[in-house]
Parts: sequence; structure tokens; C-alpha cells
Amino acid sequence: MTARAMQEATYLILTALASGSQHGYGIIADVSEVSGGRVQLRAGTLYTALDRLRADGLIAVDREEIVDNRMRRYYRLTSEGEQRLADEAARLHANAIAAMLRLKPDLAGGLA
Amino acid sequence: MTEQAKLERRYRRLLACYPRAFRRENEEEILAVLLACAQQGQQRPGLAASADLIKGAMRAWLRPALGQPRNVRMAIRLMCAGVAAQLAVLITAVATAGSVRSAVARGYPGLATQHAVNGNLVIDYVAASIGIVIWLALTWALARGRAGARVAMAAFFGSLTLSMLIAVGQGSAVYAPADLSAAAVVWLIALSACMLLFTRTSSRFYYPQSRAVTPWHGTFGGM
Repeated sequence: MTARAMQEATYLILTALASGSQHGYGIIADVSEVSGGRVQLRAGTLYTALDRLRADGLIAVDREEIVDNRMRRYYRLTSEGEQRLADEAARLHANAIAAMLRLKPDLAGGLA
Repeated sequence: MTEQAKLERRYRRLLACYPRAFRRENEEEILAVLLACAQQGQQRPGLAASADLIKGAMRAWLRPALGQPRNVRMAIRLMCAGVAAQLAVLITAVATAGSVRSAVARGYPGLATQHAVNGNLVIDYVAASIGIVIWLALTWALARGRAGARVAMAAFFGSLTLSMLIAVGQGSAVYAPADLSAAAVVWLIALSACMLLFTRTSSRFYYPQSRAVTPWHGTFGGM
């Protein structure tokens, strides 16, 4: 059986953590930037996803800090999370190339 | 009380919808993010943010237990659809009450018949309302991996089957076709959920291997 495609929010959260550990608000801002403002994560969605990703072992808590009397928890990718993100990115890349090859065969040569 | 304190208090009320364990782990952090995302002078949570938190709370309650197989996940999704379908049954029963009364009156004129129909309709409303509560409770318990809930789901499916047969026997297909159709959808969802819950992989989830595969473990020296 093939692995299921990753949800876009999950993919973008893992992408936000790929360059280093980030806290919740940082992830929201980064996801917005990476998606060109198209995906605006809300706190409920984010923490449901973070909770699931932690349970699945794809991310882990890096450290906790107290800023302005409020807890700030930083998350990082685990090695399993890095692998899953790399696999998903490769899958999406292959799909994009396939689509471009059919749409504009001349252009696809430069993308591959 | 400052504007931020008011907003914080209102967010905390919404976060109270989450399971205790989730709150213990994440509440302060979510609150910090919510307040960081708030507009200057905002006192009330926005509609979209509130809906998102309530949706998140529902997901947290129904979060798959560790090692939940795909069959069980699909069954849980069907159970959620069952809650919606059972709600549709209640709405249909209320919405079509008038047409059911007139359809029966045409076939069996008389005051006694009208009283009987009214009595049956009240029973339908109560049964559909209780049904919603049962669907919700079973969905929650099955998502948590409670083995007893699987047996209860089978019993619930049996009672749905029985009530369908009684409804057909009473002539629902003629007098209340919409109600019967809605009930049939609920019955099909329950049937599908039961089939998924009683597969071999689902059984392994609800009864851990040591109990399911070697029920006599211990009795015969750990064979």
C-alpha cells in the first residue's frame, strides 16, 4: 500500500521547522511567508497539528523559554520528520514536473 | 480589567472545551499565540478563531489513540457522519410531522388514529435525540480504544435494525418516506462502521495481542 499524501498544513509546518527550531507564533508567520500569504494557520489548527506530529514522532520539543511571563515552546524536526518531509517534497516535485511536461514540454526540460 | 485580560479570560473559556490532558500540555502556549495574533484593543475572540478552537477541541477529543489502525480511523470518521445523520433524522422527523399526520389521516380517519400518530411522533423525537447522544458517546469511546464501546456499537446497530423493521412494519414507507430514508442512511452508516470495527486489525487494536491472540496466556505456563 502506498503512503498517504501529507496534508498541506502539515507539510508547511514541517517546512517551517526545516531551517531550525521555531515557536508557535514563529511557525504561523513562517507558514504564511512560505505560502505567499495563502495559508494563514490559526492557533487551534496549529496546536492540533503539533500535538499529532509530536505523537507521530515527526517533531519534538527543542526548548522552552519564558518571554513576558508567558511560556514559549520551541519545536524542531526529528530525523524521522526530516525524512518524511524530504519524501513528500520529492513526491510533490515529481508531480509538478509531470504536470509541466504535459503542459509545456519545452519548459519542463529546464525544471527537471 | 484591561482589554487583554478580558480577551485572555474569554479565550480561556474556549480552551476549556479541550481535554484536560491537552490543556495541561498546551493551554498557556496556545494562549500566548492567540494573544500575540490579537488586534490592538481586541476584547473578544473573533468568530473564525473561536470556530477554529472549537474544531480543534473536537479533534483533540477524537484524537486517534496510539497505534490506531486505518480501519478504526475510518470507522471513527463514519461515526462522526453518523452523528450528523442522526441529527438529520431528528430534523426530518420535526419537518415532516405535518405531512405524516395528514397522510395517516387520509388512510385511517378518526381521532384515535391522530392520537396514536402524535404519540409515535413524540417517541421518534425522543429516540432521535437519545440516538445523537449515543452516537457521540460511542464515537468518543471508540476513538479512545475502549473495547466495551465496540460491543455497545454492535448492540446499538442491532437496536437501529430493530427500529427500522418496526418502522417498515408500521407502514413508514407509505406515510413517512422521508423519515424512513433518513433512518436508512443512519442504519447504513452504522452497518459500515460495525464492519470496519470488527475486522481483524481493529480487533487487535481493541484487544492487545497478549489478550486477543493468546487468551490462555498464563493459564498454561505462558504458552
